[in-house]
Amino acid sequence: MSFRMLVVLTVASLATTTTGCGTKPKQYSLKGQVLDISTSGEVIVRHEDIPGFMPAMTMPYKVRDPSVLQEVQPGDLIAAELMVAKNGNYWLEGVRITDQGGRKTAKPAMATHVLKIGDKAPDLPLINQDGKTFRLSDFKGKALLITFVYTRCPMPTFCPRLSSQFAKIHEHLAKTPDDYNKTHLLTISFDPKYDTPAVLRRYGLAYLDNDATGFSQWDFATTNATDLRALADAFGLTYFEEDNQISHSMDIVLITPEGSVARYWSTDWTTAELEDALRQQSRAAASAPSASAEGMKR
Amino acid sequence: MRRYPAGACLICAASFLLTGCSSLGLSGAELHGARLFDLHCAECHEESNPDLKKQPPKLKGLFRSKRLPSGAPATDQQVHKTIIEGLGTMPAFDQRLSDQEVDDLVKHLHTLK
Repeated sequence: MSFRMLVVLTVASLATTTTGCGTKPKQYSLKGQVLDISTSGEVIVRHEDIPGFMPAMTMPYKVRDPSVLQEVQPGDLIAAELMVAKNGNYWLEGVRITDQGGRKTAKPAMATHVLKIGDKAPDLPLINQDGKTFRLSDFKGKALLITFVYTRCPMPTFCPRLSSQFAKIHEHLAKTPDDYNKTHLLTISFDPKYDTPAVLRRYGLAYLDNDATGFSQWDFATTNATDLRALADAFGLTYFEEDNQISHSMDIVLITPEGSVARYWSTDWTTAELEDALRQQSRAAASAPSASAEGMKR
Repeated sequence: MRRYPAGACLICAASFLLTGCSSLGLSGAELHGARLFDLHCAECHEESNPDLKKQPPKLKGLFRSKRLPSGAPATDQQVHKTIIEGLGTMPAFDQRLSDQEVDDLVKHLHTLK
């Protein structure tokens, strides 16, 4: 999370806490230039000051209407409404292209290869909190819920929220051994320079109430920068370093026991929704002939 | 709730630098620390975030006790270390805040009565 992003969200929080308790999102006018389009359906916008809300900066934004992604291109000047919900979620609505003069001739390659539902997940090597190398295929036979964080993220509605939600899911699953044994949680850091296995182990223990046995069902992983970027592109994660910090999207991916993408979450979700989907995926596999014991490697 | 828009804090800090004094009776370092607190700490330590696994402690009166909420001695050195290294689910501010910034932040924490 960048310093500027931090300013934004701090001010955003202030705005939401001082303007009432309604659940209706706050709305701000945004003008800026599209720099890129991410695999997860976000536009990276370098925008002007938003009076009363945030200074000029570059940030990824989800868009409410996905058809916008077919129309805007890097270089376009746009106007839109920035919506900010009380829970910290934010997105763009009403995106209008105001000038196509800066349009590039081709979209960047990164906008084209996010995995679709049913596609096989990439089987790149990861290193967990114990320094052990593993691959997503090691979880064959289990429903796998993946999210992405960096341990130094200071925004409570971003990485700490994701890890807290996963911790809650882990606690609940531990009470039902049948589901516990057929599911797995995976948190992947997109800050490999800082988040070494040792750092990830300390981070994971904080969310596992210092019970290291929990790592058998919840891995915290890192990888090299190249494979990380490939994973991020595959799953639609956007992240980039800015002012020695990391701006990023929030993405959760559910993988079937056969290793295919079952579902994404990137804007709105609840802990219960994630947990239910994970349980259902594991149970569906258990009742299907393809869920063989052969895949239960971990 | 002790929150100020960043812009207001900047104006406040600029006023201090220009006049050499503060109507709030705070030093420049404390004002700088207050701004850093609003940017980096208040979101967790002043707000309620029900989604978090553990609610961060309020920091008013942090130095009134001999012990920090973690049980460690309530010293500047210990608080500085906690900010840089993180603790439990609190993220590390290593490489994000300079030593001087953390020092100013600690000075501000002393003013939270």
